[in-house]
Amino acid sequence: MNTHNGTLSVRVTRIEQLTPEIKRFTLNDPQGKHLPAFSGGSHVVVVLEEGEKTYRNAYSLMSSPYDSSAYQIAVRRVDTGRGGSRLLHDQVREGALLQILQPANLFPLAKHARQHLFIAGGVGITPVYSQLEELQLKQATFELHLAVRGPEHTALGLELKARYGEKVHLYVQGQAARMDIRGILAARPLGSHVYVCGPDSMIDDTLDSAHALGWTDSHIHYERFVEQGSTGQPFSVTLARQGVTIEVPAEQSLLEAAEQAGYQVPYLCRGGACGYCETEVLEVEGELDHRDDWLSEEDKLGKRKFMPCVSRANCSRLVVDL
Amino acid sequence: MLITGIKSRPVYDRLQPMTGGLRHLIAGQGSGGAAMLRLIADMSPSQRQHSTLLYSTESFSGHDHLQALRELKVAGLEVFPSNQALIEALARKLNEAHMGTRLYLSGSESFIGTAMQAANAVDLNRDEVLREHSGTLVRRVWCAHCDTYTENVTHRVFTCPGCQLDLVVRDHYSRRLAAFQGIKADGEVPGELPAAEELDT
Repeated sequence: MNTHNGTLSVRVTRIEQLTPEIKRFTLNDPQGKHLPAFSGGSHVVVVLEEGEKTYRNAYSLMSSPYDSSAYQIAVRRVDTGRGGSRLLHDQVREGALLQILQPANLFPLAKHARQHLFIAGGVGITPVYSQLEELQLKQATFELHLAVRGPEHTALGLELKARYGEKVHLYVQGQAARMDIRGILAARPLGSHVYVCGPDSMIDDTLDSAHALGWTDSHIHYERFVEQGSTGQPFSVTLARQGVTIEVPAEQSLLEAAEQAGYQVPYLCRGGACGYCETEVLEVEGELDHRDDWLSEEDKLGKRKFMPCVSRANCSRLVVDL
Repeated sequence: MLITGIKSRPVYDRLQPMTGGLRHLIAGQGSGGAAMLRLIADMSPSQRQHSTLLYSTESFSGHDHLQALRELKVAGLEVFPSNQALIEALARKLNEAHMGTRLYLSGSESFIGTAMQAANAVDLNRDEVLREHSGTLVRRVWCAHCDTYTENVTHRVFTCPGCQLDLVVRDHYSRRLAAFQGIKADGEVPGELPAAEELDT
């Protein structure tokens, strides 16, 4: 494998149009070597350059964790997004080279679960792919409940149904009854775990249903479609360790602005979910606009911690420990 | 080899109603009955109606709260003559129980530790179980040489009933085995035994 500045060069060997919005990309090492191993639920960050702009988009690995000869990612085209998925859909062809970061896992399986329940919506099925491969090999008990918006969006669901049969329940909008999340979670044996990946309403419904049924948080796992980066009012920030003050423009996050100014800030998900880029607020005069899922309410009110990947500020002065 | 301040020993809680739970399994032994009575008193009428009590009258110190437990208005009370019998019944109940069940344990360290083995088998996590220790901290000891478990050990050196070796009780608690480790006391220099001090029971 070739790494350069921490990124890995991979060749796009196959592109499949699966649904009107989703393409699946198969990625191989250019020399045909094995890629780094990963566990079920992992993602890679794809680094895309377009002119002055750099996109760093996270995509779940949907190939088998037991086959490191290739990676597969599914990319949903988001026309209203910032441009990374449009670039992958419109510009990238088979044979092209892509730069990716090594896999990381923010959505791992609960190793001691007696039963695994997956609830997914649309492209939220992607992290589940590698998890099911892992569970199938371990002969663990699992069920998948997948909702899609219409018959033209069923390709991934049908692929999984062919592979896992009765364990896969597909809910096609307009064709069958809606997914009843409360019913799915009811009367499950102790040691059950639920994993949900999909739109916010589906995640919130799952959290509410599980709590109403007496489930504790250690049995509930979720991954939101993270909106990477952030937009809003521009603000300036002082990076204490670098001794510089930089301007964060309206269409960039602090993390992106710092990277563009040539400073390396550690990060993983870039969407306020994983907590990897958490930094300390050394001085603040004004209000912080916390936009992450990571910090507790207490931390957010405390004004001592800050997530540079998504959060913003309405401040006359902000100094962070970067 | 012998360390003070036992990091591996579990930190025990104080039993109090876990509000998110829909059903409550409350298992105790001997003097642990006092914590069960206090827990029930702290519960709402609805929580009491969804509570099942398991009580073992086996006790190292001779405490028995059975009479007071019989008078409680709860979903059920099952009484066992030994901790072992209670834990076997608990394991069966946990195996059939649904998500939303909370487990409360009170009693000796040996009782709590072995009941936790049943809880771990069904993947009950720290946010679903509370444990309150009562009575002395007499130790359950596992012999590293013959795999025998000995209850209620109070001294640093004792003779394993399984293999007749003189064992020294290490200050290491294994949650998996629910026991402290005992190893041959004169393994380094035959015949040279460590001081037979009383353990911090």
